[in-house]
Amino acid sequence: MRRIYLHPMPLRIWHWTNALMIMILLASGIRLRILGIAALRPHDPFLLLHQYAGWALAASSLFWFSYGVASGHLRRHFLMKKGDIAGIARQLKYYLVTIFRGEKDPFQPSEKEKYNPLQKIAYGAVMLIFIPVQTLSGLTLSHIGIMQKYILLWDASRLFVAVHVIGAYLFILYLIVHVYMSTLGPTAFSHIQAMITGYEEAEESVKNDWMTDRG
Amino acid sequence: MRRIEQDDVLPRLNPLCTRRQTLQWGGISIIGMSVLAPLLAGGADKPLIIMEQAQGIVVADPVRCVGCGRCELACTEFNDGKAAPSLSRIKVDRKMRFGAGGITAWRDGHGNWGDGLIVQDLCLQCPHPVPCANICPENAIVADPKSGARMVDLEKCTGCRICLRACPWEMISYDPDSRKATKCHLCQGKPKCVAACPAQSLSFVPWLDLTGRTSPRNPLTAMLPPDRVRNCAECHMPGYRQNIRETGFFGGAGYGGGPLSPRGRGFKWIDLTGTILVPLALVSILGHALIRKVGKR
Repeated sequence: MRRIYLHPMPLRIWHWTNALMIMILLASGIRLRILGIAALRPHDPFLLLHQYAGWALAASSLFWFSYGVASGHLRRHFLMKKGDIAGIARQLKYYLVTIFRGEKDPFQPSEKEKYNPLQKIAYGAVMLIFIPVQTLSGLTLSHIGIMQKYILLWDASRLFVAVHVIGAYLFILYLIVHVYMSTLGPTAFSHIQAMITGYEEAEESVKNDWMTDRG
Repeated sequence: MRRIEQDDVLPRLNPLCTRRQTLQWGGISIIGMSVLAPLLAGGADKPLIIMEQAQGIVVADPVRCVGCGRCELACTEFNDGKAAPSLSRIKVDRKMRFGAGGITAWRDGHGNWGDGLIVQDLCLQCPHPVPCANICPENAIVADPKSGARMVDLEKCTGCRICLRACPWEMISYDPDSRKATKCHLCQGKPKCVAACPAQSLSFVPWLDLTGRTSPRNPLTAMLPPDRVRNCAECHMPGYRQNIRETGFFGGAGYGGGPLSPRGRGFKWIDLTGTILVPLALVSILGHALIRKVGKR
């Protein structure tokens, strides 16, 4: 066994900041949803908390994106590569069938490639589609001067509320699966520990069989 | 003669009303009235009158007021054809007291001697409940078709003056000459007092500018009799709270109520789908974990 440094410090801090913000956003958002948008007072403490947490999440996501572009993290770990289409089916088969036979994960993370193809799709979708969509639809609902006029004019807030709420439910579903899958490592807490310390236990020779045709 | 008449009458009356019968009938009528009275009085509690919202109200700025009283003259000149400030629908006065325990000239609560502030009082054109319209036995207080202001229908008004007592702001006057009640009706949407004010302390403000898009006031249903609450519940959703005094700073629980505005409603299918999918996801990961544990053995 050897220890590989998978998660650099900025990304670890970013991850836990994001996690905290999303928990705050979901908790306050559920309360706002139960009350209903029309019953909210503009100075409702939960509404303000939701807005500030939303700004914080947008800022930290922007940091993630700029850090990912600058450090090559995005290009190296998120770009779909040659064998990845076949990898999707392979990972699916592992999670739905062979994992029950106690077989090993066909994908082992390395410094070169952190995420399996399913992770790439999930994380990429969350960071590059869902968070921007949630941020933008949330912005349209937060009474920003000039925008608010046209939103009221076109009565578009219903649409944005719908988008925002659908996004929130998808986030909850994602969170459930994400937390569960984080326990699928060698031990239940090894992935979570790796996200705190940065180091992950790995096998001596990380060589995935489908990686052979790749440099 | 008289004795004979009495003897004639008394034997006839006695069988009608013996002592036993007096007690019986007395008891029956007491029970009957106590049973019937609420039924008979039920009609007195008539349903809440909901009328068209007034376009706006006259808003007064007491700081600018110089107390000249021209608004009162303009009001009575237009409405009554005479200068009679006692009839005026706008009431200008000073908050004064004459000594620590002395006479209250206008309202107290402004110090032992009053603060001498000149204040104008005006009809607030209550959205609902409209106390004067609700109390009026003739339904003589109606919404002006043009300005929406609550006005006295002089044809129906009988001058009973009960509205003077119903108005919490004491803003209805009684004209002893015409024997009718009279109140501010916004002069068909162009208040004469506003035009007459030399200090620009009066302005006619539309509701929308005062309150935005929402209903201006939300009566506390807990304070109303049950019959009226039933009327309120047709528009005000149960459990719906808006005022900070109702919700507290952190908004209370707020469950079980729908919003007043239809804008926030709808799209319940999203929540329905979500509340099905989220437990489904939880169950499926639990199942996944369980099968994994079984498979390892």
